[in-house]
Amino acid sequence: MEFFVIIGVLVLLAIFIVGQYNRLVRLNISVDEAFAQIEVQLKRRADLIPNLVETVKGYASHEKSTFDAVVSARAKATSATGVADVAAADGMLTQALRGLLAVAEAYPDLKASTNFLALQEELSTTENKVAFARQFYNDNVRSLNEAVATIPTSFFAGLAKVSARPFYEVEDPQSREVPKVTF
Amino acid sequence: MASNFRSAQGANKRKTYFLLAAMGLLTWLVAYAALTYFGAGTTTFVVPLAVGIALVGVWGSYYGSDKLVLTMTGARVIQREDNPELFNLIEEVVIASGLPMPKVAIVEDSAPNAFATGRNPDHALIAFTTRILEVMDRDELQGVIAHEMSHVANRDTLVSAVAATTAGAIAILSDFLTRMMWFGGGRDRREGNGNPLLLVVSLAILILAPIAAMLLRSAISRRRESLADATAVSFTRNPAGLRRALETLAADSTVVRQKSNAVAHIWIESPLDGKAVSKMFATHPPIEERIETLRAMESLGPSQ
Repeated sequence: MEFFVIIGVLVLLAIFIVGQYNRLVRLNISVDEAFAQIEVQLKRRADLIPNLVETVKGYASHEKSTFDAVVSARAKATSATGVADVAAADGMLTQALRGLLAVAEAYPDLKASTNFLALQEELSTTENKVAFARQFYNDNVRSLNEAVATIPTSFFAGLAKVSARPFYEVEDPQSREVPKVTF
Repeated sequence: MASNFRSAQGANKRKTYFLLAAMGLLTWLVAYAALTYFGAGTTTFVVPLAVGIALVGVWGSYYGSDKLVLTMTGARVIQREDNPELFNLIEEVVIASGLPMPKVAIVEDSAPNAFATGRNPDHALIAFTTRILEVMDRDELQGVIAHEMSHVANRDTLVSAVAATTAGAIAILSDFLTRMMWFGGGRDRREGNGNPLLLVVSLAILILAPIAAMLLRSAISRRRESLADATAVSFTRNPAGLRRALETLAADSTVVRQKSNAVAHIWIESPLDGKAVSKMFATHPPIEERIETLRAMESLGPSQ
């Protein structure tokens, strides 16, 4: 009788440990997947840029510095690896693209061209997709880090070789800057 | 009252469990009443029969919900080329939610509305009326899509199928038993259950149970709508979009032509006239209440 009780307790314990272990591994994989989604969306955005730059050039060929900023930010963004690097390059490119779209504002012919309008829709949806992919990644990191830090999952983090992962934080200079006030 | 989307999601989920438990309790109560009134012989035959009929009836419509609803509402499935901008918006919410891409359908209708169905996220379908695509801007439509994708994420087709099965079984059971009472047949109660008070209580339970089941079913539907609003905010982090969308829906007095009670619960805004059905039987919470909840979430700022 006692033998069966001990076996029963051991089986329950094994189920519990396997459950905790698998939960951590699953959370870790979902963070990897979420990061891959960010990279997919960033690549989509990078692919849109040459076309966008060409279209704007056709109307505003002398805005060379803006084009250069976008092209160099794109090059950095496509070669970046690791969460912190990708996030930094992503922020720079977002900034450079804002500059490019601001330039476009000054050219009514460009703004009215069907090519530019189609690109603008593509670009704004891609921007949203990048933003949502970041948010989804951060939500997953949040669940993982919570599991790694709280009992009882925290006991199994070492066993599952899972540790807290970094959040994807974009440096956005515009949200830091104090707005300039002119009188 | 100000609550962020996480606590709102938690509260609505807890209330759903509570309501489903109440539904289970009600079924048990009906079976018990039948047992007291008719005795064990009849009850062991009738209860499984009623549950079986309800299960067969609901299971079919649950399993084929994506196809069935298409024919019931006259929705037409569209591809990316038909409306790339709508697909862009849906893809955004798909990324935010981590769900697979659903099928997309259009209903030719002059009332702005939308719905989601399908037995699981892999068989999900979301549909929009032609009018809603005309009247809503990007942010509003994104809120509506997020609400519909929330129904998919929260498995609301399954929840409402469970509620419908239980309510259906109770209705069938009560119908059977009250009929049997008229004919006085099947009554093998001379087994020591002669307590007249108990018999009266059992009778009352048998007669009132279907109404109680309907009330519970409507209450579950309302909880799932509030939950979908909260989950939508967790996807877009933009309560203002959905709030403005609901305001547009509230201001619009046209309702979808197709008013079948059977599919009323799946639309984002109830197609049934608010005054015709009492608040207790409504499948949706009052739209003003939903707007207020979202407004409270907005006041918490973007990070909440």
